[in-house]
Amino acid sequence: MREVKTEITHKVPLAKRLLRALATEVDIELKACLYFFCILFYYSMYRLGIGSDNALLLHMAEMILVVYVMGYVQYFLMERFDQGEHFGTREILYMLVCVAVHIGVSILCNWYDKNLWVTVGFAAYLLVVYFSVYLVYKVLRMKDGKELNEDLRAFQERRER
Amino acid sequence: MKFRVEHTDGEDEVVIRCREVTPKIERLLDILEGDGVRLVGVTESGAKSVIAIRDILYIESVDGRTYVYTEQEVVRVDFGLSQLIEYLDDIRFFRCSKSMILNIDKAKFLKSLASNRIDVTMVNGEHIRISRTYASDFRKRLRGE
Repeated sequence: MREVKTEITHKVPLAKRLLRALATEVDIELKACLYFFCILFYYSMYRLGIGSDNALLLHMAEMILVVYVMGYVQYFLMERFDQGEHFGTREILYMLVCVAVHIGVSILCNWYDKNLWVTVGFAAYLLVVYFSVYLVYKVLRMKDGKELNEDLRAFQERRER
Repeated sequence: MKFRVEHTDGEDEVVIRCREVTPKIERLLDILEGDGVRLVGVTESGAKSVIAIRDILYIESVDGRTYVYTEQEVVRVDFGLSQLIEYLDDIRFFRCSKSMILNIDKAKFLKSLASNRIDVTMVNGEHIRISRTYASDFRKRLRGE
């Protein structure tokens, strides 16, 4: 089976490039929001667990910053592994790197008061989060593919009539 | 066979009155339906080949040369992609990249890929990728927008 990959090599107009850059930024920010809320949930549970009903704004700012930076890293350096077609060795490696960075920042910024078990739990939680995001995107693509094929059949039937 | 052309307002209409549908009338109907249009090109062996446009899977431009792919053969034609898309002037032909025109009628299965790209499986099993730049126009074409 021959695979024909088509790549665009022509010069794209500035307006189109700006729109594309904007779409990329929106994509990164949306995912940053998603990861931030997941991390915030774990952090809030931890705070409640230690009997505190306060969350530090500084910690939240650090969380936002790290997920935003990691959003860029995932987009440009890690092939957007959480949106990928497969979840193989390379994706697992990318995921582990992301988890390691988050764990490092959480220890450095003292999100969990350097509690070992809470930090280990955070790492496990992040693994589940990354894999869940991958599954969510996979399901969304399957739904989109189903709609695309329905549209294709409708197009071909319209033409036959 | 007699024929006459009447100029009227409104939608174009062709009425054929005949005792029976002869091969000649069938050919005429083919042309009216747009399936009678043919492309003439040269095969790899240098032989001349005539292709009905309904048989085209896709058309690709490689190194300034244009190739028409059917299930049976690959034929080089002396047109650029822009000329061809104008000449074919048919809703089924979609410019899916800078270097390729796709016959949507010959698409068997579509798969949604990451980053809003689309993988098209053709009837002969070949795969064509539509990048996100062209994917939204492709979706619109399918929906008839």
